Amino acid sequence: MRGAARPLLAALAVALAAAFIPVAAAEPATGAPRVLCGVCHPDVRVQFEQGVHFREGFDCTSCHGGNAAATTVAAAHRAPFRGTPKRRDIPALCAGCHADLAKMTPYNIPADQYALYLTSQHGLRLAKGDDKVAVCTDCHGVHEIRRKSDPKSSVFARNVPATCGRCHGAPPPGSPEGAPPVEGSPFADYQAGIHGQAFLQQANNSAPTCASCHGSHGATPPGIGDVDKVCGQCHATARGYYREGLHARAMRAGNGPECAHCHGNHRIARADVSLLDTACAACHAPDSEMLKVAGGMKALIVGAQDEIGVAHAAIDRAAAIPLYVEDYQARLEEAHTALVQASPVVHALDVRRVEQLTARARGIAKEIESEIDGKLGERWWRRVGLLLFWFYLGLTLAVLWVIRRRALEDGRR
Amino acid sequence: MAPADPTPARRSLAAWLETRFNLTEMLAFLSSFGVFPAELDTTRPFREALHDAWRRPLPSYARWPRVLGLLSFLLFLFLVTTGALLAFYYQPTESEAYRAGTAIVRDVTFGWFIHQMHRWSARLLLVMLVIRLWRFFFQGTYKAPREAVWMAAVVTFLVATQADLTGRLLTWTTTGYWTTVRALEVINALPVLGPVLMFLAGGTTPDSLFLTRFYVLHIAMLPAILLVLFYLHFNGVRRVGLSHASSESRATGETARVQMINMIILAALVFGGLVTLVTLAPTSFEPAADPALTPQGMRPPWYLLAPHAIIEMTPTMLPRWVGGLVVEAILLLIFMLPFLDTSAGRGTRERRIAVAVGIVVLAIWLVLTWQGYSLEVRR
Repeated sequence: MRGAARPLLAALAVALAAAFIPVAAAEPATGAPRVLCGVCHPDVRVQFEQGVHFREGFDCTSCHGGNAAATTVAAAHRAPFRGTPKRRDIPALCAGCHADLAKMTPYNIPADQYALYLTSQHGLRLAKGDDKVAVCTDCHGVHEIRRKSDPKSSVFARNVPATCGRCHGAPPPGSPEGAPPVEGSPFADYQAGIHGQAFLQQANNSAPTCASCHGSHGATPPGIGDVDKVCGQCHATARGYYREGLHARAMRAGNGPECAHCHGNHRIARADVSLLDTACAACHAPDSEMLKVAGGMKALIVGAQDEIGVAHAAIDRAAAIPLYVEDYQARLEEAHTALVQASPVVHALDVRRVEQLTARARGIAKEIESEIDGKLGERWWRRVGLLLFWFYLGLTLAVLWVIRRRALEDGRR
Repeated sequence: MAPADPTPARRSLAAWLETRFNLTEMLAFLSSFGVFPAELDTTRPFREALHDAWRRPLPSYARWPRVLGLLSFLLFLFLVTTGALLAFYYQPTESEAYRAGTAIVRDVTFGWFIHQMHRWSARLLLVMLVIRLWRFFFQGTYKAPREAVWMAAVVTFLVATQADLTGRLLTWTTTGYWTTVRALEVINALPVLGPVLMFLAGGTTPDSLFLTRFYVLHIAMLPAILLVLFYLHFNGVRRVGLSHASSESRATGETARVQMINMIILAALVFGGLVTLVTLAPTSFEPAADPALTPQGMRPPWYLLAPHAIIEMTPTMLPRWVGGLVVEAILLLIFMLPFLDTSAGRGTRERRIAVAVGIVVLAIWLVLTWQGYSLEVRR
């Protein structure tokens, strides 16, 4: 009985294994080859089937070679079997398809990523034999490669900082789970900066990630003379004023400050008037002409800010009464707009132009204040007026009473 | 050229006018609005007639509780004056009404005062008219020959409520707008009367055209009707005389002159009271109406709460106009009261049934008003 059961069980196991391979089971009609790699590599198979390559009909052999339909290990791993590709070979391997315009165009995927990668710091260092730099799989995943529009993808926009941070700020090996990134690393700085806070904490998807400034496949730090171009993609107004100023002229001559000199690069400070104290003094002497310009611009902006704050408080007081304040709010918004316009003008280093715009902001705010103060003052006088009114009315009533008494006496006579 | 008049230097302005206008008749006409207490002999010259009237002894006239009609008329005069001033700045269009209202209240010099005077006068006027109706009822003032006085007072109250209602919409504030909407629901449920009023207003939903019509009704038609009603009332009182309780002595020793002074004192006190209310208890500022956004807990104005309750409490298997018909029947009974109450005299003892019915009706009215108020709270 036992001897007869053995071959039967073995046949059953093979039949079961065949039945549980979905590719083989689900798609025999389409003519797709049988893929049996998963029989021995089930965890890899599970990962692969989550990815876009599986869905588009590729299988293990597309990258690894070998024979997927073979039923023995030896037959499956027979040449042209590649095994696990070496790190330095991976970009070229992916490029086999991804640099082929004919293959990529149907998916509407650009075919220049490999060319870009070769120009990137990653690619350049790989070419020099440093295989610790990022290759395709470090960012996109190995077997589970998802579309970049898939929220689970490591290159989905919201996941980009964490993906880059895996190398550029990752805690040293052996650190506990969830340890913060290394202090001073680009990732730690990005998290602390205004861009990282907007993107990561406030979920502001229009805030930049690493790739917004560095590029993705052609990742490289912007060079001297290029920083204002990169920042100017979003901060076009500030860049325009910067290019009109003396700093830009000095930069073109080879030794002038760019955006990052004052604002920082990864740990980008909020654009605040306090920068006019700290950033300027970093290069200019305390009693220099330049610091006076900075002080002047700061005073103008702070003055307008304060005035708007006072007007805002006046509106709040009036609204609490309650008084109709919607039109005042609209006008205060105008003042605020003028102030917002004035701030980037600082980059042109021209006090007079800052003055023009801040004067407008201050003027509108002052006008609102005086109008509201007038109306609130009038309300106080109403009570005084009431007292005066009753004083007068009392006199009138007294006189009338006297006249009435006389008329009554007349009537009785 | 010889002077036509031998003694031109001694002639006064009154005499000069006397030869050109019938001043006595003018003053006699005014007395039919209650603002001049005595009757005048219109066949005699102005000065003589006035001199005569001044000294004529009169029953107490401008004295509680007979001041309610006069107070109502004084408030009506305040309303006309302040309303005319408000109309200088107001614009009755959907886009401008609210802006104009806020401009009057905030930016126009003393605009807030005029606006608040108008609002407080309107509120007090309605209260006066209601109190006056109940006084007429409990003192038997509707009995012959004062049936017309009662009927005029009832219609005055009804018209005054409409003047109040049309005024509420003009501000185009949230409360004003939605109170009007709720009031229109009540009025719309009245058979015949509802459709006619809706036709006059030009629709059932407050929109821009509706606002214009309410404006015309509010500033021209309803005040004119009220003026006619006040005239009818005071003219009737002049003809049939003031009502007196039997216990009251008729010999007060007061002349028309004293009455006039009483009246001026009363007017001054009313004005003083209004100014105090306006300064210390102004109605707070409200946001603009948004026809697309119904706020919570909006109910009809207080005088429509009882009809609102009756209509809302009509069983759902009956059509809405059944409740409306009940309201109309009650109004008709109130209007026809002088002919329904056939008891002998005016005294409380002589018409016990009428007084008892009146007390029950007053209680029911108060309960229904509370019901109408709390209906919205429960919703």
